[in-house]
Amino acid sequence: MPFFVFKGCLVMALGIALLGSLSVAVSAKTLVVVDQHGSPVENAVVELLDVTTNNPPPHQIAIMDQVNKQFSPTLLTVVQGQQVSFPNSDDIRHHVYSFSPAKPFELKLYAGTPKAPITFEQPGVVVLGCNIHDSMVGYIYVAHSDAAFVSDAQGTIELPDSVSEYLLWHPEQANSITERAKMTWPTTHSRVQAEIELITPAPRNTFGERFKEHHGQ
Amino acid sequence: MKCFTYTQKLVVALLVMISLSACQSAPQSLYQRVGEQAGLERLVDAFINQIGQDDVVFHYFKQTNVSHFRTGFVSHLCDVLDGPCQYDGDSMVQIHTGMNINEHDFNHVVDLLIAAMDEVGIAHPVQNQILAKLAPMRSEIIKI
Repeated sequence: MPFFVFKGCLVMALGIALLGSLSVAVSAKTLVVVDQHGSPVENAVVELLDVTTNNPPPHQIAIMDQVNKQFSPTLLTVVQGQQVSFPNSDDIRHHVYSFSPAKPFELKLYAGTPKAPITFEQPGVVVLGCNIHDSMVGYIYVAHSDAAFVSDAQGTIELPDSVSEYLLWHPEQANSITERAKMTWPTTHSRVQAEIELITPAPRNTFGERFKEHHGQ
Repeated sequence: MKCFTYTQKLVVALLVMISLSACQSAPQSLYQRVGEQAGLERLVDAFINQIGQDDVVFHYFKQTNVSHFRTGFVSHLCDVLDGPCQYDGDSMVQIHTGMNINEHDFNHVVDLLIAAMDEVGIAHPVQNQILAKLAPMRSEIIKI
């Protein structure tokens, strides 16, 4: 009965593959990021440090769009050497700039004038603004490798089992905006809580902010 | 008391004539008549405040950087009113493209500018000359 033997092997192989993937899921580690009051922190970036980076940067061009006078997404993680395109989905013009040491640049984005994507060669934090609309603030986190993760609304990040040392960063951290805190995973733990001190961002230099007593938020 | 000689009188008369004609040949620019840089800054600050208190057109400005707008408008007015400035900001077309500003909202912003000019005490004949300088830009601003 060679056919049945083969079928049996297939079932077994499937079972082993399933077990394998299950065991990976079970042994993955969970980080919960909280602020100084113990509240979960969304949009914290964790980058693993002990990762070999022989891979070339991804060919895929990441997108930092502008929609309704906001950056979309507000936070983008890319890998060192990756390109980012800055379309303008609004009908009006934008003037995107960054003063961040990792990538100072400026782009005048008028309706219907496409621009070549920008390459982010240096790892680090790039803060984006718009000269015209000061309410627009965006962040590009340029990671050393593709082992960068972002926390969800519950502050959680699933990390590979191999995590040991990692960097922790958040756009509203009390620390300097480019500083990334170096953390060590306690080897015996599978679920760890990491605290990051946040501050309320400074008010923006907009008509909306200046005249909010008349117009509300 | 020593009297002026005829020659001295002639020199004085000539000097008076020269200074009078100098006044006539170099009338003040609108830039000077609104009080130069400081006067323009007062006017634009009053205009920003008018926009800030307004409910009709405020939404166009809500997310606009106040300092960027102030610097740009002061420089643009200085250039248009024949002051010593070269406006090198975005063109009126670049700035207003996509905003789809209708006549009503455009006229309302003109009213706010007039209120700002009243507020800083610019005389009505000067106001009219300023508006006449700005009026040709209307087609670069509305319905684009």
